[in-house]
Amino acid sequence: MCNAFGIVNFEGPDVRVSGLEDYRPAGAFSFLGRYRLIDFPLSNMTNSGIDRIEVFVKNRQRSLIEHLGTGRHYNINSKRGKLHILPVETGVQNDLYNHDVAGYMYNMGTIEELDQPYVIIAPSHMIFRYDFSSFLEKHMESGADITMLYHVVDTAKETCINCDVLNLNKQKGVLSIDKNRGNYKTRNISMETYVMSKDLFVDLVKKAANTSSLYSFKDIINDECSELDIRGVAHKGFFACINDFKSYYRTNMELIDYEKAMELFSDDWPFYTRTNDSAPTQYYSTSDVCNSVITNGCSIEGTVENSVIGRGCIIKKGAIVRNSVVSPQAVIGEDVHVEYAVVDKKAKISRKKDVLGDAQNPLYVKRNDKI
Amino acid sequence: MRQNNMVAMILAGGRGSRLHALTKKIAKPAVYYGGKYRIIDFPLSNCANSGIDNVGVLTQYESTLLNSYVSAGGRWGLDAKDSGVYVLPPREKEDADLGAYRGTADAISQNIDFVDTFNPEYVLILSGDHIYKMNYAKMLSHHKACDADATIAVLPVPMEEASRFGIMNTDESERIIEFEEKPEHPKSNLASMGIYIFNWKLLRKMLQADMDNPESSHDFGKDIIPKMLAEGKRLYAYKFQGYWKDVGTIDSLWEANMDLLSKNNELDLADQSWKIYTEDVATMPHYLGKDAQIVRSCVNQGCYINGKVEGSVLFTNVKVAKNAQVNDSVIMPDVEIGEGAVINRAIVAQGVKIDPGAVVGDPKSEHIELISKRVR
Repeated sequence: MCNAFGIVNFEGPDVRVSGLEDYRPAGAFSFLGRYRLIDFPLSNMTNSGIDRIEVFVKNRQRSLIEHLGTGRHYNINSKRGKLHILPVETGVQNDLYNHDVAGYMYNMGTIEELDQPYVIIAPSHMIFRYDFSSFLEKHMESGADITMLYHVVDTAKETCINCDVLNLNKQKGVLSIDKNRGNYKTRNISMETYVMSKDLFVDLVKKAANTSSLYSFKDIINDECSELDIRGVAHKGFFACINDFKSYYRTNMELIDYEKAMELFSDDWPFYTRTNDSAPTQYYSTSDVCNSVITNGCSIEGTVENSVIGRGCIIKKGAIVRNSVVSPQAVIGEDVHVEYAVVDKKAKISRKKDVLGDAQNPLYVKRNDKI
Repeated sequence: MRQNNMVAMILAGGRGSRLHALTKKIAKPAVYYGGKYRIIDFPLSNCANSGIDNVGVLTQYESTLLNSYVSAGGRWGLDAKDSGVYVLPPREKEDADLGAYRGTADAISQNIDFVDTFNPEYVLILSGDHIYKMNYAKMLSHHKACDADATIAVLPVPMEEASRFGIMNTDESERIIEFEEKPEHPKSNLASMGIYIFNWKLLRKMLQADMDNPESSHDFGKDIIPKMLAEGKRLYAYKFQGYWKDVGTIDSLWEANMDLLSKNNELDLADQSWKIYTEDVATMPHYLGKDAQIVRSCVNQGCYINGKVEGSVLFTNVKVAKNAQVNDSVIMPDVEIGEGAVINRAIVAQGVKIDPGAVVGDPKSEHIELISKRVR
């Protein structure tokens, strides 16, 4: 049991995944064929013994709410625990105003009633495995006001652009928070994951709301760097931030490598998701598949190479899928050739025979599209 | 949905002794089938899909795993307020010592009190070890339309095989006039599937009489049905069309798995309108490595394949290393197949390790080999 409640936060306006974001929030993005991004922070929390989780949602929340349901599939005790979906209702259709602080303020009554003395906040657009109970322990031992998780990224010129960067002193104290503009190779990327006492959290949220109606939680943390004892804890293992279309594509591709995937997945740390009760995947006599991640419920007669194929996809005879991410229930028709593409959910490609992007600019095929 | 007026009782005490090591520690209904299922998922999913909300499962032989497996009724959606899956092993009673179920009918007789709690109009009796998809609601409509006392689902089998089954001889209105167990000279090809709908009031009376009858073997096929016919009750046949398999042996379990590999196979597990539900395991999707080759196969989540797989069914979390070959085989969960190992025409039981370079099974063998221990 963990003495903290969890908050899974939605993405800020700096996360822009063109195409996919038109239909759902980042937490509901299909990932590696089987998951949605939010499965990762939620599973991390429940595996850490957190059984009271507040999930904040803003726009286009239908698919996310459908996926979360009662939260039972995340292994939360159905009586003592709770997965709570909290909307942001500012009445304003402007992302600048609909930030996390607005969500926390709108639901302050709920937050103040919680019994747990600590809160652990994690974002819904970052993928990693982490034991939050050890995070809380470290925080309590150190006596810090706030502890933040960061990852040392050595490809910061190309990845995690616009993510927060922690400037740390030797004792891992957070001196200031910058943006990653891609100027340096190695940076301490903030994982937007925090632990602090509930009381401090509530104070900071109120302070942020009083300071500016445009302030998000990150902004107030940044302001408080000199006032509060804020420390960084380094995360090791697989880490990815999905904040644009390229990072979405690249992260899926990266995890096709089994060795790499084993840095994220572990037998004793399951990532839960909503079951779809699909049958196992069927391969037929003409199938030719290698170096790929394939989810249940597919029917494969064509060629698949270096790709991720989501639940319930149909890859017909003569079809060739290479270097692509095919979301659940898509159909790749006979002799269709797809390369370097992200095919969104339920898209059907049958007539147009060549759907070819390139490695630098993968294509996006819209949800439900018929080509 | 409020419960309809039929309760299902699944007979799941079967030993399945011809499945050898596969049923050493688990009852036959809990045996794995089709890449992710256990056999009992079929009758349970059929019940759920047919709108039957309350299901009793009668267990006896090696029931620990089966009891815990079926008691999680949510797997089949049978966990709403008005529904449930109830595990019913033999129990000690106020007026009777703990005794085993003496036969299929006795298993129901000993649970008359359980059925009574639902006050049902009809009782559906099923077997926990058959693989098929069937809409029991349609069978119930047929039962009502015939104004029957009992309805028995029958499967038309090839005439030359009819002498292996319990055969129903019917008149032109499909009323059953005679039942013959494994007749030498069958008069019809309608084999009983061991699926019965009874009017509960009548069955209850007959079971009570049967319990005290020292001559009876307490079996539906041998005692209850013949007695009903002798008493002139209205018994009707309900013809079933489709895939149905009783996997009694290693060979037939293997065959039933192989049936899934052909395109448009009759069982059609991918049919979204009649899903078969099972345990939800949290594993990764399956991975195919750079050297993987796979054709005509069925693979479940959690597998890692970097060898050659052909004509096989792979369950959850199977690992097939580089240069290993798996041909015409059924590989149950958590099996690890080492580099360069070759498997032909075999069923490999859960968790078995096949060491690198080992050779198992024979591509020309008549029978299927069962591998239940580590192969070095």
